[in-house]
Amino acid sequence: MTTEHAPIIQMKDIQKHFGSVIALAGVSVDVFPGECHCLLGDNGAGKSTFIKTMSGVHKPTHGEILFEGQEMHFADPRDAISAGIATVHQHLAMIPLMSVSRNFFMGNEPVKSVGPLKLFDHDYANKVTMEEMRKMGINLRGPDQAVGTLSGGERQTVAIARAVHFGAKVLILDEPTSALGVRQTANVLATIDKVRKQGIAVVFITHNVRHAMAVGDRFTVLNRGQTLGTAQRGQITPEELQDLMAGGQEMVKLEGSLGGTV
Amino acid sequence: MGEAAQPVPATDERVKEISGLRKALIRPELGGMVGTVAVFTFFLLFAFDSGMFNSQGMMNWSIVSAQFMIIAVGACLLMIAGEFDLSVGSMIGFAGMMIAIFSVTYGWPVWMAIMVTFVLCTAIGGLNGYIVIRTGLPSFIVTLAFLFILRGFTIFLPQLIERKTIIGGIKDVAEGDWLAPVFGGKILGGLFTWMGDNGLIATFTRGTREGQPVVDGIPMLIIWAIALIIFGHVLLTKTKFGNWIFASGGDAEAARNSGVPVNKVKILMFMFTAFCATVFAVCQVMEFGSAGADRGLLKEFEAIIAVVIGGALLTGGYGSVLGAALGALIFGVVQQGLFFAGVESSLFRVFLGVILLGAVILNTYIRRIITGER
Amino acid sequence: MTSLMKKLALATAVAAAPLMMASAASADGEKYILVSHAPDSDSWWNTIKNGIALAGEQMGVEVEYRNPPTGDLADMARIIEQAAASGPNGIITTLADPDILEGPIKAAVDAGVDVIIMNTGSPEKAREVGALMYVGQPEYDAGYAAGIRAKGDGIGSFLCVNHYIVQPSSQERCQGFADGLGIELGNQMIDAGQDPAEIKNRVLAYLSANPETDAVLTLGPTSADPTLLALEENGMSGDIYFGTFDLGGEIVKGIKAGVIEWGIDQQPFLQAYLPVVVMTNYHRYGVLPGNNINSGPGFVTADGLTMIEKFAGEYR
Repeated sequence: MTTEHAPIIQMKDIQKHFGSVIALAGVSVDVFPGECHCLLGDNGAGKSTFIKTMSGVHKPTHGEILFEGQEMHFADPRDAISAGIATVHQHLAMIPLMSVSRNFFMGNEPVKSVGPLKLFDHDYANKVTMEEMRKMGINLRGPDQAVGTLSGGERQTVAIARAVHFGAKVLILDEPTSALGVRQTANVLATIDKVRKQGIAVVFITHNVRHAMAVGDRFTVLNRGQTLGTAQRGQITPEELQDLMAGGQEMVKLEGSLGGTV
Repeated sequence: MGEAAQPVPATDERVKEISGLRKALIRPELGGMVGTVAVFTFFLLFAFDSGMFNSQGMMNWSIVSAQFMIIAVGACLLMIAGEFDLSVGSMIGFAGMMIAIFSVTYGWPVWMAIMVTFVLCTAIGGLNGYIVIRTGLPSFIVTLAFLFILRGFTIFLPQLIERKTIIGGIKDVAEGDWLAPVFGGKILGGLFTWMGDNGLIATFTRGTREGQPVVDGIPMLIIWAIALIIFGHVLLTKTKFGNWIFASGGDAEAARNSGVPVNKVKILMFMFTAFCATVFAVCQVMEFGSAGADRGLLKEFEAIIAVVIGGALLTGGYGSVLGAALGALIFGVVQQGLFFAGVESSLFRVFLGVILLGAVILNTYIRRIITGER
Repeated sequence: MTSLMKKLALATAVAAAPLMMASAASADGEKYILVSHAPDSDSWWNTIKNGIALAGEQMGVEVEYRNPPTGDLADMARIIEQAAASGPNGIITTLADPDILEGPIKAAVDAGVDVIIMNTGSPEKAREVGALMYVGQPEYDAGYAAGIRAKGDGIGSFLCVNHYIVQPSSQERCQGFADGLGIELGNQMIDAGQDPAEIKNRVLAYLSANPETDAVLTLGPTSADPTLLALEENGMSGDIYFGTFDLGGEIVKGIKAGVIEWGIDQQPFLQAYLPVVVMTNYHRYGVLPGNNINSGPGFVTADGLTMIEKFAGEYR
């Protein structure tokens, strides 16, 4: 596996308190280049807080973040982005009214000089967008096609391609598959696989064990702000993961009555 | 990125082929273009011989349209950035009054009065934006407050200082000023004199100006309108900043996540809107030579209507400066054209409503085709 | 797209309908345009519309009424330019702000269109812009005359309810009244706004803050009608000295009931009717009165109200 490399990002004993609420009570996770690290947990388990800490939105109350071996203190998300930690949010990734190419280069617009003016280099943007989309297996009508005309899975793919194009070393995917149909989910999972093979570390947040098992190399389960350990692929069964997420025995009973379909 | 491109299905069977013509037509400006053609056809049919299309008549509706265009450009960019400014009309009155007070009452040189007014009004626009950003209140409410505040000062200050609500005499103090003609002057006078001499356009038949052309040049107001449209269009479609404007209005949160300085964009757009309103005011004051407390009443709605006719989305993130300019043209031509066509003037609002509704329905239809909204 | 075209065609047809009617109704005679400065909401101008309609009918000429919908005088200037461009025989217009309107009016005169100034303005200004004559009531003089009259009735302080504060002529009325009384105008003029409920409440507020006020002066039905209600509500009705400019249905009732001492009638009907008649005769026979026509002021009191009552809001 990838364990012989040094981890690209290490989160050590991260605690985060919001007033009297302890959202994270000492979570440690390592992520290696080229692995897909699945972060599982039920709603309220602390997944969001954890990735927001990783991407610079929150500052940890206690604990340290090592990025490529260096201790990092991100002041805001832009710091994290420039270091190479990109987050793809489920809903807040793309602007539907704008074209794919405008979305792709949003915040990183290429510029060409025409006389004294610095203009948006649409030709370059369109060319790169079409190229990157083809690589990801999406056939655009044209670079000026609005994102609103794409399916949910395609939008996630555009967002992932964008993050990769702009040099992300760590890609955090916040529930990319939760609102998608079966086929679109498969597309997104395939995209994750492609990205991982490029040597990028993927942090895949989900509460769907089957999606996690499909692409994950390692699995970390969060429950009530604590990690219940990290498991390698092959060392854990989907049922065990499901149990860990539920954090107790109730799930076993429930599962029994549902005939193992959850 | 060592991965070779995956084999891709040649075409998605669910994506319909779109013909070149249809693709060229389906643009945000389409509604404005259709409307412009319809409006001109209408008036060519019903008001052709009413003087609407002689030199004087064309200048008349061109000026009115240009006025709308100036404020529509600002309102359009601001609306695309996801915000409203209801204080545009009051800003027009306020800016005009400030110039009058500075130049006539305080006796400052006119160029200085104009510049200070520009700085002051743009700063108020920035304040509008700052309050919206910092409080998170809807811009609708914040600028509504400024609608009253600015109008109130526009009535109060001249009453306090001059004991009247209209300050005149700006023409006299602007005599010989270098900056005033940039707003109140006319250009291409020679061309129009030539056309008058050669019988191409009407000339005065009596009075002190006998023999001179009735239209003696292009007012700077129209030049400003064209310049602002070009500036707005280039800024929006051809620059990095334009992409940020779309992004800020489309989804401020997503834009922030991508590193777009949304707050800065929005505040700058508020300032630009105020700038446009001030251009409007300065042109008006320099042309008419007086500033009144009633100037610019309800102009904010006229600007917003022009922008909406031009295809912009009220909730932001979508629109076109060219469309807004066409919307302003439609507005101006209809407003003046109805007089030419001899329609009872109280029906103007009926026409306006019909056009607004028609344009919005058409624009929604076009937008759905483009953006795949459902 | 085809259904879209159909909709457009339909919309055009609907839009064209009133147009046809308008052109069908036009007479064959001379064409005149009356331009006012009043916003759509000002009901007082209804008398003017009736006046030009009657004059047009009697003289066999076509007269159109135009105004800036919001009362913005800069828009009014455009309307005068537009009116001149459409090539009428004459334009009848108010001169609400000479600074703005002078240019367009002079251009119209130079382009061969005859102009008569009505309502607001003055004989001197009318001559300056090259108009044939002035028909109306000089505002300051009317206010001054009313002030003198009120002084004779023992008035020493007043409230001027100004519903059109941005109009200079409305201030001249208040200023004239104050000068007639021989007192400073000071804070005795309030900006009442246009909304009846607001006007009423502002009058109530002023009078409760300044209970020693001797008199109320309103500038037309827009401010007089709510003021009547306000006085009824605070019990000052009939007690406080109440004078008003212009007439209207409620004002006439108020005069009859003794609540309003007098109304200054500037006889708007004449301001609309006479210019049309004068212009038509000038264009047909070349005859023109040798002087300006003062349509007012006439003080209307409880005596001889019958005719006024009958035609108030229509021709009076």
